[in-house]
Amino acid sequence: MKAPIAPPFEIPDIVTYAVPGFILLIVVEMLVVRATGRGRYQFADSASSLWMGFGNQVAKVLLGGFVVASYFWVAQFRLFDLGWTWQVAAACFFAEDLVYYWFHRISHERRWFWASHVIHHSSQHYNLTTALRQTWTGALGLAFIFWLPLVWLGFPPAMVLMFQSISLVYQFWIHTETIDRLGPLEWVMNTPSHHRVHHAINPRYLDANYAGVLIVWDRLFGTFVPETKDEKIRYGIITQLGTFNPFRIAFHEWAGIWRDVTHAKSPREAWGFLFGPPGWSPDGSRKTSASLKAAWRAGPHGPPASSPAALGRSKTRAGEGAGGP
Amino acid sequence: MSDLLVLAASALGVLAMVGAAMALGFRTRARLTESELARIAAEEGRTLQEALIAADARSAFARLADGAVLVARALGDGVSARIAPASGVRVTLEKGRLRVALADIGYPPLELRLQQAPPAWAAAMVQGGGA
Repeated sequence: MKAPIAPPFEIPDIVTYAVPGFILLIVVEMLVVRATGRGRYQFADSASSLWMGFGNQVAKVLLGGFVVASYFWVAQFRLFDLGWTWQVAAACFFAEDLVYYWFHRISHERRWFWASHVIHHSSQHYNLTTALRQTWTGALGLAFIFWLPLVWLGFPPAMVLMFQSISLVYQFWIHTETIDRLGPLEWVMNTPSHHRVHHAINPRYLDANYAGVLIVWDRLFGTFVPETKDEKIRYGIITQLGTFNPFRIAFHEWAGIWRDVTHAKSPREAWGFLFGPPGWSPDGSRKTSASLKAAWRAGPHGPPASSPAALGRSKTRAGEGAGGP
Repeated sequence: MSDLLVLAASALGVLAMVGAAMALGFRTRARLTESELARIAAEEGRTLQEALIAADARSAFARLADGAVLVARALGDGVSARIAPASGVRVTLEKGRLRVALADIGYPPLELRLQQAPPAWAAAMVQGGGA
């Protein structure tokens, strides 16, 4: 049993320290939207997003200790003692961002993880309050397991947690329609433009731009889609919620999973409802991202037949989700 | 104790931001019209046949040409709509209110206050003999 190497400095609660900045920027964005008409706010939508963020903080108080304890438990079995050096910190930044990419991608591709993540996408608006519309069930849904391999490799748990917080804070400002493209930064960084695509439900944009801080992972793994000006973005989820009630928002997908699994006719169906793509159904009657994209590609508004999107290489792997597990 | 302080401060922050949004006039509320319902149906490749819109124009229940139904509610300044097979909704009528429920807890039941008896197609869907 090895205790993890302690950080050489006291790490502040980065997210909590960022909250006053979040509030200030939200008010500034509201003023900009009011003055320019660029972007959209509605107080009831913002209220539900903000109360979801508040509930997320409550969940962290209640369950955060469990997550941190898991990191420290795994750290006992680490392969290497990487310690706290600048080189290790730099490697940890990239490794954490890569893990975030896969966590995020799987959160869209597997219903178990989607049940927590869907909350973040459930607003039909896209502004800085949307950034704070966060899950209440992430820890219960075991989202943190994606980061455990980093600790097992030997990155100090506190370092991994620190970069998770930095990533979360970074991702706040990209939830806005008030900022257009950012020149050369668009090549490397996740930006408002890239993240608008991620929150869009237009078929051409589904399953794209999963990046946390660096967009390079999407470029590398074939999930990058640029924003185009010739189609107005629609935000939200395919099956839009009909409520601003935070409790309904927080638990609706879990309730849907429960309903489907308890009505499943076989273990295979139950497995599909739990871990298949969101929208999976035994008879294929429900909509998945893959089926929506396939319909779009085949339709009159789809890409030209020879384009990467038409060939299924753009954002969704060919055949993905066609039959479920 | 510090956690409670942070949560209390966050709650105040939420109230302040919502107050700011209201003060800045972000209070637009959508109203449903038949043409809006027809547009929503058309987006899904369907044709609107008949629509029942609540007196306050905040919720609507419609029949589509293919036998499916459309439920819609104004949500803030937007609209949230669902298309379902007629068998996928539970319709009840009580004291002039038509209640249309889906199984999804993410879409609470619609309640349409009607100023007159529901049309025959909607009345035919009412369960429990309430019509």
